[in-house]
Amino acid sequence: MAQFRLQGSRVLAVDLTGDSVKAKNGAMVAYEGEMTFKKRTGGGEGLRGMVTRRLTGEQMAVMEVKGHGTCYFADRASEINLVSLQGEKLYVESSNLLCTDSALRTGTSFTGLRGSAQGNGLFTTTVEGTGQAALVSAGTAVVLRVTPQTPLQVDPGAYIAHTGGLKQHFQAGVNFRALIGESGGESFQIRFEGDGLVYVQPSERNTIGGEV
Amino acid sequence: MPFNILTSRMVEAQVMPGQTLFSQRGAMLAYRGDVRFTPSITGGQGGVRGMIGRRVANEATPLMTVEGQGTVMFGHGGHHVHVIDLVGDTLYVESDRLLAFDGSLRQGTMFLGSQGGVMGMVRGQVTGQGLFTTTLEGHGSAAVMAHGGVLELPIGPGRPVHVDPQAYVAHRGDVRNKLSTAIGWREMVGRGSGEAFQLELSGTGMVYVQASEEKL
Repeated sequence: MAQFRLQGSRVLAVDLTGDSVKAKNGAMVAYEGEMTFKKRTGGGEGLRGMVTRRLTGEQMAVMEVKGHGTCYFADRASEINLVSLQGEKLYVESSNLLCTDSALRTGTSFTGLRGSAQGNGLFTTTVEGTGQAALVSAGTAVVLRVTPQTPLQVDPGAYIAHTGGLKQHFQAGVNFRALIGESGGESFQIRFEGDGLVYVQPSERNTIGGEV
Repeated sequence: MPFNILTSRMVEAQVMPGQTLFSQRGAMLAYRGDVRFTPSITGGQGGVRGMIGRRVANEATPLMTVEGQGTVMFGHGGHHVHVIDLVGDTLYVESDRLLAFDGSLRQGTMFLGSQGGVMGMVRGQVTGQGLFTTTLEGHGSAAVMAHGGVLELPIGPGRPVHVDPQAYVAHRGDVRNKLSTAIGWREMVGRGSGEAFQLELSGTGMVYVQASEEKL
């Protein structure tokens, strides 16, 4: 099992003992020991994964890092968040996924309308199994709990990832005010209902929703 | 004249009479006391010869001399600042990454080719550093800028460190560097892992790596 450690908040150190991890292409900043880097295509395994990726546009250039020693990863000075999965499924935007244990399966999943507001397609990446994953965020991410009594609304541009049994749907707060240009600037939200965790970053990506 | 770290992006230096401090021109944020800032025409030490050397080597970042008595705060462009204390050894760093440094440190330029032959020259091209780099030697401190925090990795005999050239900030000590290329046919057909060039640092010393692959 690869060991994930944080060095400060922006560098991920992964200790490898002959095993491997999958990481965002080109995210290595330094390594000690013996390492090999191989390009893989992300978003699912085998031919089926290839087809869904072609269709979904949720392409992620992934490299497989294998060896003995410590490999350091970073991505444009973004903050790094460690997530430990115990058999559950993590839904994450592929641009926010930095590194996953090779024991974890990656795939794509249909998210419906949410993607179109985020400007990154209708699909998102899924990570499933037991092991660690590292997510990147612009600023320190907060983890918000959703329970059946307390649903959560999130700005699509600030959403990074979620785990658990959550239903999400897109809600538009567009009314006549927005049409005459007097809107509150928050016309679209994703509403999460059910039981789980949502990762939110203190920064907003540019989305179509942000223009309204 | 040690630097005090105020935040991750700001440092403070004590200036005493009879001591000089060099800093990148315009990097002063605030000061207390009686401090004078004079543009350093020669861009540091070594007089006119040093200046010509730096001009030729393209390592001439406009500097200013800071003198007087008081405390000065430095920062530049919102970059992270990392303080490196030298105890008689040499620091190799790009001049545009130097935020401020003690006047007690001897400044020089080094031809990259002399530290790894032809590969040193290739390294300069690949890292975008050109063929020369700045050296600081002696006892004192230097404040170096990086994009997104700095990681210190020790280099020991039999324990070389490999660094992504774009994430390399500076190194110190008795270190040989070698650019290793892992270009196979995959890179040629555009299916590489994105880690085609690696800088291998071996010997005894320390390498400073930034948490980003972006230039300043």
